[in-house]
Amino acid sequence: MLARLALPAHVVRHSAANAFADMRAIYTWRTWTFGWLGRMLAQVTFFVLLGRVVAGPEHATYLVIGNALMTCVIESLTVVASTTWERTAGTLALLAAAPAGPTWVFLGRSLQWPVSGTGTSLVALFLLGPFFGVTWRPEHIPVAALLVVLTAAGTYCFGLFLAALVLNAGRLRNVVPGVTALLMMAFCGVQVPIGYWPSWIGRIADIVPLTHLLHALRALTEDASSGYVFARAALGLLVGVFWLVMAHLAFESLLHRGRRRGTVDFDP
Amino acid sequence: MTDRATAVETRSLTRSYGTGRRGGSEVYALRGVDLSVGQGEVHGLLGPNGAGKTTLCRILSTILLPTSGTARIMGRDVVRDADAVKRCIGIVFGGDRGLYGRLTVGDNLRFWAALYGLRGTGLRRRCQALLERMGLAHRADDRVDTLSRGMKQRLHLARGLVADPPLLILDEPTVGMDPVAAQDFRVLVDGLRADGRTILLTTHDMAEAEAVCDRVSLVDHGRIIATRAPAGIGALISRYERIEARGVPAEVAAALPDIPGVVTVRAAAGERLRIETEDTSATRAVLRRLVAEDVTEVATSRPTLEEVYLHLIGERGMTVER
Ligand SMILES: Nc1ncnc2c1ncn2[C@@H]1O[C@H](COP(=O)(O)OP(=O)(O)OP(=O)(O)O)[C@@H](O)[C@H]1O
Ligand SMILES: [Mg+2]
Repeated sequence: MLARLALPAHVVRHSAANAFADMRAIYTWRTWTFGWLGRMLAQVTFFVLLGRVVAGPEHATYLVIGNALMTCVIESLTVVASTTWERTAGTLALLAAAPAGPTWVFLGRSLQWPVSGTGTSLVALFLLGPFFGVTWRPEHIPVAALLVVLTAAGTYCFGLFLAALVLNAGRLRNVVPGVTALLMMAFCGVQVPIGYWPSWIGRIADIVPLTHLLHALRALTEDASSGYVFARAALGLLVGVFWLVMAHLAFESLLHRGRRRGTVDFDP
Repeated sequence: MTDRATAVETRSLTRSYGTGRRGGSEVYALRGVDLSVGQGEVHGLLGPNGAGKTTLCRILSTILLPTSGTARIMGRDVVRDADAVKRCIGIVFGGDRGLYGRLTVGDNLRFWAALYGLRGTGLRRRCQALLERMGLAHRADDRVDTLSRGMKQRLHLARGLVADPPLLILDEPTVGMDPVAAQDFRVLVDGLRADGRTILLTTHDMAEAEAVCDRVSLVDHGRIIATRAPAGIGALISRYERIEARGVPAEVAAALPDIPGVVTVRAAAGERLRIETEDTSATRAVLRRLVAEDVTEVATSRPTLEEVYLHLIGERGMTVER
């Protein structure tokens, strides 16, 4: 079992070299901190202030937790766009001809986003949060950090699934993650509690990792029992794994269809 | 298993593409290709644009399924046994796509090595050896974006070799290279032949095919119309013997087509006249006539690969059929 996992891990690691090379080409530490991070913190602040005006100051804590965690979701969803870069690079046919499956390559290929997103969310939660009434007990900090990592990872897996769908529809590569993020913001408990919406929406939101992990994070800050927090976190993790499996199936079927139709190396 | 000495074996290999439009007819890229390439052979595929060469390479690379027929590589079926086939082929598609521009040369190679299951010191040694062999070791830490086209193509070749495959499929590997880079590339291919590797190569460059291939197949309209060693390929059209002469008076030139067995008479470069004849007796008749007219700058030759190609394929002229 370990040996069977060792090879994929190895592929993911080498593929991630590509991810971080892209990251270095796009950002320096300075532009990441003052450009990206600054922009995301401003966005969180904007939603919190807007909510305070519209709904009242008692909602600030709710909003800052939701929007702070949302930043890693937004960034992790960038995998949808960056997976299509593989088409631009013209490497898809070569990947299809290689013995290692495409899933492991793509899993490593855009890892810069969940990593950077985790950083953004941590800063937003721990530095911005206290300004809007969030108090962190020292023993909660590692758990909150773990929840952020799980959210970024689970969303990344969900994004990989979307990426597999979008790979053959390149024009949608920026629309899909944008719309997905907006829907998540609205329906997964970021800006308003899920209970605000009809119950069927809540059931759909349950297949999104963010829903469970954000719930766990809120429970943590409200001093819920650790059993409850872990149960919701485990559920979030499970949903993330579900999307990884779905992404795997989607990539495999994409290549299979490409082989049949002759579209492995171009956007049909 | 088929014959062990056969590296590539296709039987009635056919591939059609839907046009994507409803009611549009199918495009047949391959129509019943039978090809057999022996182990250790360098085999060229020559043919006009759209002949089906790339389609054939893709099927052999497992990235395209045949519509019908079979293809085996080292005795393994490219459809049913695709995983095994992937491990015994290296593919290099021409052009400068297919590399990660932001990664260094070394990281690109190590990435592909990882995909082929190499790891640890084995991976590092293999990548280092390949970079040295391809003359890229001094650029190992540079970003691929900064390489010249010829260097990128050598990196492609290194990538194709990363799993030490017995069969290499090179689809127009020298396209866009300057003559010196292309020449260097041929020397590398020669080295690979010396390793005992089988190489399937498509090209539009007749000199390249003549220089590196043990045998060539002429492909046209999805069919293989001939397979021969380049040296003997003239035999395919041996009834066309060729005479070139300089300083032929116009009235003599005008009379040449009337000699029985003369196929064509046309002007060639350098104020020369090129006469093609059906057989040796016609050639003799033409030579007698030219010498009688005091034309002394005369040469006869066997058709080159290029001419065979032009005869069998190019003679269609510029008819656009599809
Ligand atoms: N993915 C595809 N979808 C539809 N038609 C295709 C596809 N790929 C190739 N074709 C068609 O199949 C035929 C053979 O194309 P192929 O690329 O195999 O030719 P080729 O011999 O490699 O040509 P070239 O010398 O220009 O590279 C052409 O008519 C081409 O238009
Ligand atoms: Mg081609």
